Amino acid sequence: MTWADTAADTATGTPAGTAAGMPGFGIGLRGPHMDHVRRHRPDVGFFEVVSENFMDCAGGRRRALEAIAEHYPIALHGVSLSIGGTDPLDLGYLARLRGLAAAVRAPLVSDHVCWTGVMGRNTHDLLPLPFTEAVLAHVVERVRIAQEFLGRRLVLENPSTYVGFTASAMPEQEFMTRLAEEADCGLLLDVNNVYVSAANHDFDPVDYLDALPMERVEQIHLAGHADHGTHLIDTHDRPVSDAVWDLYRLVTERAGPIPTLLEWDDRLPEFPVLEAELGKARLAAAGRDPVSALQGVPDA
Amino acid sequence: MPEPVAGLAGTQRWMQAAILGDGAADGVERTLTASSSLTARERLGIYRRGYRLRLLENMRGLHPGLTRLLGEEMFDRFALDYLDARPSRTYTLTRLDEGFADHLEATRPDGAAHREQWPDLIIDLARLERIITEVVEGPGTEGGPVLRPDDLPAALDLSRGCDLRLETAPCLRLPTFAFPVNEYLAAVRRGEDPEPPAPRPVALAVSRRDYRVTMRELDPAAHRALRALAGGAAVGAVLADPSAEALRRWAGLGYFTRAHRAPEHLEERARR
Repeated sequence: MTWADTAADTATGTPAGTAAGMPGFGIGLRGPHMDHVRRHRPDVGFFEVVSENFMDCAGGRRRALEAIAEHYPIALHGVSLSIGGTDPLDLGYLARLRGLAAAVRAPLVSDHVCWTGVMGRNTHDLLPLPFTEAVLAHVVERVRIAQEFLGRRLVLENPSTYVGFTASAMPEQEFMTRLAEEADCGLLLDVNNVYVSAANHDFDPVDYLDALPMERVEQIHLAGHADHGTHLIDTHDRPVSDAVWDLYRLVTERAGPIPTLLEWDDRLPEFPVLEAELGKARLAAAGRDPVSALQGVPDA
Repeated sequence: MPEPVAGLAGTQRWMQAAILGDGAADGVERTLTASSSLTARERLGIYRRGYRLRLLENMRGLHPGLTRLLGEEMFDRFALDYLDARPSRTYTLTRLDEGFADHLEATRPDGAAHREQWPDLIIDLARLERIITEVVEGPGTEGGPVLRPDDLPAALDLSRGCDLRLETAPCLRLPTFAFPVNEYLAAVRRGEDPEPPAPRPVALAVSRRDYRVTMRELDPAAHRALRALAGGAAVGAVLADPSAEALRRWAGLGYFTRAHRAPEHLEERARR
């Protein structure tokens, strides 16, 4: 299989591709799995990497990524664009991102609706924004600038959040919808983040999904979270929860097939465990209950 | 509704200070909402804890040797002190520890007049691990020009060898340490649990070939010579015999990318 072949590949279980050119189901590619992927060429529609892990790298990790990009579409997922920040956009960062996207022929470049730091600092966290008209206008303008600089549409993800702002004047789903429409950007719908934020902010995740413009959703993320009793944390360190599978089935019933990616970062299991988890996504997208259909699949 | 902190920039400065600070931020309830199960301050605490845990995890990943030497608890105290003093200003976590060794040096407990040796061990190990990250992440010679030992006789042109200059590989680093931290780190990487090393000055050449990091201990004179060559000195200025075996050995290790002579007018000026 070559990179170009994947657009017509239907072995992954969904209709081939979208406007973004990413077929079916993908996995977040992490360093410990790169050798496995190069050697075994698993049946995965696409991979996604954290952009910042490769933008500055001139070592073996970058070479391995470019080799994998010969056989799979590679989506780039950033964590430091700080599109909601108030420091000037880092054009050096954007230039490096543009260079990496060209090097791996990335079909999709995404980041988060968040800010990561101000006054030149980076907390390396995805910090929440107040949902106000002024903030919306600020983020819309920055998305337009970033898209113009990158020469492509940016795709923005709803982050998991743990605080809200007294100043917020609209729900997150309205902010995301208006941002996508006014900036003409794509959306990355992280279903687990919707579930986590819904629990943390006492809203109904189905109401959230009902309000989103699904035609703008270019990718879906799935991941595991931890339940701390008083709140949920988006940990990416365990299987997707049953409740999140239910939400995912709801999304695919309503919106049809959307390229779907499994993220797993901490307590990273062997690659076959991720493939099994991705198998659940295929079942869920086909309208089946992935939990009962795949009894006995190891969790980690 | 007016925002409780003036504007988004003010809100972000406030929140960043609250996350990076000691948890005693003012205005939390005015700015952030509570949930049905957590107060606004408790919710802010999730970000404060997450910030520290995330960066500590990355610091440990960048410094497995120092974490082993100090133990996780002690390492975390050093790392937190560093992160508090020098919060990250980079978008990539591989540069998170760029100033760690310098911070350790600047905050060492012994005064300049009464130097003790043990802080050197910690600082040396932090510096070596940072160097290794730079060598792993930075540009190397893979896919680019490398001067081979066989290239040397012609390049040297022994009659004019004294003014030959060698460009060193971009991944070559030539540190010196008061402790053999290279041996300690190699043992940790082999999965051993080595004793802290006794002091012994070491001069290293750290480089990369075929994407693998190499570390070699050099004798002090050879190390000085290689450093001088890396600094642009002519071969003849640092080596008595330009055909020295050391040059061939170093070329064989991929330390040089090319040889060149100074432009004629510079040579002329140098002779005057």
